[in-house]
Amino acid sequence: MEENEGLAVPVPPLRSMTIEKYQKVIAFFKELGFEFDISRFDDRLIAQKLVCLLELKGIDLGYSCSLYVRGPYSPDLTQDLYAFPNEFAAPGTGSRLTPQEKETAGELGRIFGLKPVSLEVGATYGYYTLRQGSDPLEAVRQVKRLKPFYSEAQVALGVSKAKQFLFTPTEKDLEALKEETGIWQRASLTSREHREE
Amino acid sequence: MQNDILSIFNESEGLNAKVFSLVRFKLLASLAALGQDGATYRELKAALDINDGVLFANLNVLKDMGYLTSGKITSEGKELELYTITPEGQDEWKRTRAWLCRFLRCGV
Repeated sequence: MEENEGLAVPVPPLRSMTIEKYQKVIAFFKELGFEFDISRFDDRLIAQKLVCLLELKGIDLGYSCSLYVRGPYSPDLTQDLYAFPNEFAAPGTGSRLTPQEKETAGELGRIFGLKPVSLEVGATYGYYTLRQGSDPLEAVRQVKRLKPFYSEAQVALGVSKAKQFLFTPTEKDLEALKEETGIWQRASLTSREHREE
Repeated sequence: MQNDILSIFNESEGLNAKVFSLVRFKLLASLAALGQDGATYRELKAALDINDGVLFANLNVLKDMGYLTSGKITSEGKELELYTITPEGQDEWKRTRAWLCRFLRCGV
């Protein structure tokens, strides 16, 4: 026993890696005000889609998402959600988010809220476009095929939110948008001036 | 482990032959990956593109064999049927996959 004096309690490397991994997710849940309850189906769905959207946004949480019957999904996350339900439910985490991660969490919360349908549609659309390289029309078609039980309006809303969260318009995109909408803006101004005369 | 085809056939005696259908493979493989979380009937139907009659009948066969369980859940105010694989289902799927891999000489 003498040789262990002064040493911290050894934690097996795999277990400590798992703790580190899920604590980051818990920190995101806390930042988003998400009170996870393992017994609720919608909470498990929200947890999966939040993590997949963050991964798609480029934040490495260590839970890689692939396409399953439920859309983008991480079986490793499911294992941890069931293995540590109390830790996920009462987020007192040792992990802190960087300012950039906090900003991303804020954006995610502002755009999606904690709405299961939008998160599910958004994550699925994002997966098809970013991971499978589908063009936007093909990605929407795939979302509708995998989630035919959602209405056109729900799909449109989820896709629009995914675009807002996952894609930052480039200078070229903004220029093209200006060109596309410019004619309408000019027409609107002319019409207004005409009415005011 | 012997690699001759006859010993591989002999090993199949420990498997449940009723699992050997494409629809049941699809269902077990899909639900095994999701663990305790499971999938709803409508998710399975859409993703696997199986019609109601075939899907319902095969889910019931797997349930009767003790490989799946089902129950009602509520999502966004709607009541849905959720299917989950049991530990026995996981074991049977693992055994079936391992045997299929030997039979097909995966990685050879």
